[in-house]
Amino acid sequence: MNKNNTNISSILKSVSKPGRYSGGEYGQIIKDKSKVAARFAFCFPDTYEIGMSNLGVRILYGVLNKEDDVWCERVYNPWIDMQEKMKEHGLPLRACESGDPLTEFDMIGFTLQYEMSYTNVLNMLDLAGIPLRSADRDDSMPIIIGGGPCAYNAEPVADFFDLFNIGEGEEMLPELCRLYIKMKKEGRYTKREYLHEAARSIEGIYVPSLYEVTYNEDGTVKAYTPIYDDIPRQVKKRIMKDMDESYFPEDAVMPYIETVHDRIMLEVYRGCIRGCRFCQAGMIYRPVREKTPEVLNRQAKCLYESTGYDEISLTSLSISDYTELERLTDLLLEWTNENMINLSLPSLRVDSFTKELMDKIATVRSSSLTFAPEAGTQRLRDVINKNVREDDLMRAVGVAFAAGKNTVKLYFMSGLPTERYEDLKGIADLASMVIDKYYDTPERNRSKKPQVTISVSCFIPKPFTPFQWEAQDTMEMLADKQEYLGSCITDKKIRYTHHDARVSRIEAVLARGDRRLAPALELACKEGFKFDAWDECFDYDKWISVFERCGIDPAFYANRAFGLDEVLPWDIIDCGVTKEFLLRERNKAYEGNTTPNCREKCSGCGANKLGGERTCCPKARS
Amino acid sequence: MLSESQKLIEKKRIKSLPELERPRTVRLKFIKVGSLQYISHLDLQRTFNRVIVRACLPIWYTKGFNPHAKLVFSTPLSIGAQSTCEFLDIRIDREMSCETIMERLNAELTEELKIVDAYIPERDFADIKWASYDISITSGGISENTPEQIMQRIKEPIFMLKKTKAGEKEIDITGLIHSFSCKLVEGDIKISCTLSASSTEYLNPELLISGLARECDLLCGSPLEEHYDIIRTSLYDAEFNLFK
Ligand code: SF4
Repeated sequence: MNKNNTNISSILKSVSKPGRYSGGEYGQIIKDKSKVAARFAFCFPDTYEIGMSNLGVRILYGVLNKEDDVWCERVYNPWIDMQEKMKEHGLPLRACESGDPLTEFDMIGFTLQYEMSYTNVLNMLDLAGIPLRSADRDDSMPIIIGGGPCAYNAEPVADFFDLFNIGEGEEMLPELCRLYIKMKKEGRYTKREYLHEAARSIEGIYVPSLYEVTYNEDGTVKAYTPIYDDIPRQVKKRIMKDMDESYFPEDAVMPYIETVHDRIMLEVYRGCIRGCRFCQAGMIYRPVREKTPEVLNRQAKCLYESTGYDEISLTSLSISDYTELERLTDLLLEWTNENMINLSLPSLRVDSFTKELMDKIATVRSSSLTFAPEAGTQRLRDVINKNVREDDLMRAVGVAFAAGKNTVKLYFMSGLPTERYEDLKGIADLASMVIDKYYDTPERNRSKKPQVTISVSCFIPKPFTPFQWEAQDTMEMLADKQEYLGSCITDKKIRYTHHDARVSRIEAVLARGDRRLAPALELACKEGFKFDAWDECFDYDKWISVFERCGIDPAFYANRAFGLDEVLPWDIIDCGVTKEFLLRERNKAYEGNTTPNCREKCSGCGANKLGGERTCCPKARS
Repeated sequence: MLSESQKLIEKKRIKSLPELERPRTVRLKFIKVGSLQYISHLDLQRTFNRVIVRACLPIWYTKGFNPHAKLVFSTPLSIGAQSTCEFLDIRIDREMSCETIMERLNAELTEELKIVDAYIPERDFADIKWASYDISITSGGISENTPEQIMQRIKEPIFMLKKTKAGEKEIDITGLIHSFSCKLVEGDIKISCTLSASSTEYLNPELLISGLARECDLLCGSPLEEHYDIIRTSLYDAEFNLFK
């Protein structure tokens, strides 16, 4: 433990889970701070256990530290008890590796994985003693950078950040550091100059303060106007074109305490061929770019040698869509079995769930099964383009039951566009059919009763989806629907859980919000909001009160159908997929027509203009 | 540290090492200090499971449906206490010298969790009866008379709630103390003591100092957790021979 932690050390015995803060992990990167030209603090705005599990952070930590003159460290948000102790002892937020306060850094990056973590971002800046607003930070302050999926519409937090990375950061972040170091060395660094030059010369950089926003009388956005003519009018997403060539960390910082994903995460491909109409990830990560099985196998081996983990998880949005899954699992099984390493395949689709797969992969055999039909009737599944059929589901659960399983978990969404009560009843019916299927399976485990869990979330209209214009159901409607669905379920063998509609509403406000939400977030921070993604911390009434006091009507953002010709706050970003495509998809949804997946037929979404190797896009140009 | 590709070669080489007739137990003596004092026993076990894989040791795995390495630890240490005398027994099934084992493990460990000795054990963990600790207490409630006051108080019974298998029980913890000394060094209380460490009558040093803090009012009401440091320094058998 370094000396800066002496004080931290004395409070660690009085907080819960001190292993979150003690540091000293094997694999952490320590550099001599007097010999580096830029210090980068990579912040994950949630707990250590969640942040340490994030693959993106692992990659970018490695990418930045690969630069000899850059030292990237990690920062997580201390839990509430620790924050209180730090306040009591006058200790600011510090980075894990050096124990230095954040104000000593040149750059601070936040990964924005979910909207409900926005309050944690501000909470962390506050703990670090850094002014929240970009405009209030002078040249001596670190540059505050945002990235991750929420950066595609980070307008609600735009006033707090100096710049955003749009898209994949493997090249962008080092480029930002290089520019910073160069300008410092040449003695011409000012924050203003730096931001301008970054926006002008580095692709994918969005500097919100360089765009002026005007609004119409009805409150909608009128225009985004760049204040310089040498910066892009629309910021285009950056992608890694060739995933085989893309930087991959061959070692990892090893947590001592148990984290959420305490295993090797092997990223098999980026993007998704499916195009579910509610799904943001399915759109913003396009186009699909696969890694080859040989490269993946080599990377997995490397990580096994350097970490000693006994589980490899094949991650991607829908693992069964990987064209070479067979070959990859065969290559991996050649050495994983004898070394007693488990392979896990999250994100399996029902249509790919087979007996062969079950026999091959031990964890598929042992863990409980989860499928996501998302909607209760074929009509609504067609509307959302979730191309899963009832018989696919029945076949899949049949295979599982025949293999001795008795529990299945099903994910659904309520409040989807065009949803009717019969669709909700359909969810209950589907669950009953799964129960019936159990008793119809002769090979079932006769000593056990079946158990089906249905977990229902609330639809949230997200930017860059065909449903981005939709109104979210009001809370009363959502609550009513949840209750109705509950009343449709009479069988004790069906367990029913649903998300809190109040959280989903706030999430909808933040997801489609614009810059006028900043005062509300600022006030929320002042009032001590934090960890809003955690049930025990979220307080709906307080959120509403904050909005009210700032003159913000949450319904304007959550429950209003946005006009199809309206300027959207996120129009400033080009994520590859065109607005025309999203509109086409929206119309098809209302007609109840499905769209084939990218491998069956290209629907011309526009993402191929970004280029990409090993993708199914026609004419992917680089 | 071996590079990853060296490790792959090494893995193959291990398979050609001479096989042992029976699995051999190797005892590792290690330190757990600094940041590592906040890591629980369970987390430590998980950590070592990964470390032995990284270190490319010829570990013996249990047979059967769920093969695993057999790691046996001596008296667990509670969170918030450091130690320079922890023991872990591992089993290997191929020839490898204790020096090599230690070297390889240390390449995968840090300065705060490090192997300091490796050898073929002669004694059982069950022989451990006593443990010595160095404790320091920093607090505004300490004066020049405090050591004397503590030394007096320790002669009388101190009753504390102690968790046992049968539930919580009030016991006189002074019955579990073998030796105890206490002095003032630069305003801090420094205690050296030897406490019972058998599995049935284990006295947690933290329980002792919270008893003393209560009886001698060392803390003036501030929380004990923020004012002490504990280091376990050695383990002994019933005859006070140093446990190895
Ligand atoms: S360009 Fe065509 S194939 Fe490529 S992601 Fe878009 S729809 Fe799919």
